[in-house]
Amino acid sequence: MIGLLIVSHSAKIAEGTKELAEQMTRGEVPIAAAGGTDDGSLGTSADLIRAAADRLVARGAEALLVLVDLGSAVMSAEIALEDFHQPYRLSNGPLVEGALMAAVEASIGANLAQVAAVAEQTKDLLKVHD
Amino acid sequence: MSEQHELILTIDHPSGLHLRPAALFVKTAASFQSTIRIANLDREGQPESDAKSMFGVMQQAVSQGHRVRVRAEGPDADAALSSLQQLVDQRFEAEE
Repeated sequence: MIGLLIVSHSAKIAEGTKELAEQMTRGEVPIAAAGGTDDGSLGTSADLIRAAADRLVARGAEALLVLVDLGSAVMSAEIALEDFHQPYRLSNGPLVEGALMAAVEASIGANLAQVAAVAEQTKDLLKVHD
Repeated sequence: MSEQHELILTIDHPSGLHLRPAALFVKTAASFQSTIRIANLDREGQPESDAKSMFGVMQQAVSQGHRVRVRAEGPDADAALSSLQQLVDQRFEAEE
């Protein structure tokens, strides 16, 4: 099973995104949130990201898709996962939509490339249909 | 033997085919071998998309009251359509 790692500059955004994605998949997919800094303020933390990644592996995730809210989270994620031994991908997809779609895709047994592709495609989803 | 069948479903769920209903629809479709396509008949000119992918279903932007055409082609096309029909008839509550 693919695990999802939700990285945001806000702990609330990360937790809320995780909550929505878990609601979609009823806890079938391992999802972990890493939002905010070590002291709970806005920002990102390589330590929190790494801890979340390790929790996902402990829950049986064989590979991770990492979703971020803003580009500045990418560097923290790269530092956090520098010596991470499981396969992972950083996604260019939007955080909320990407996480929801990726969670469903993961729940039907898709591999990392398929889950990553779905998250990325959500960039093109229209929300307003006139 | 490959069969091709289609049916039209009206989505009565208040969320339409979003969130949990969409996820259940995709998961049900994905459990069959047949190719399954979905089109929202209430959005003019909306091309068909893959009903086994969350992205495909989201593309259809199905709101409450919309009618969708579901086409299945493959060895278990009939079974796939009956399962999807059942899911919609039970207002997505079967697996809740």
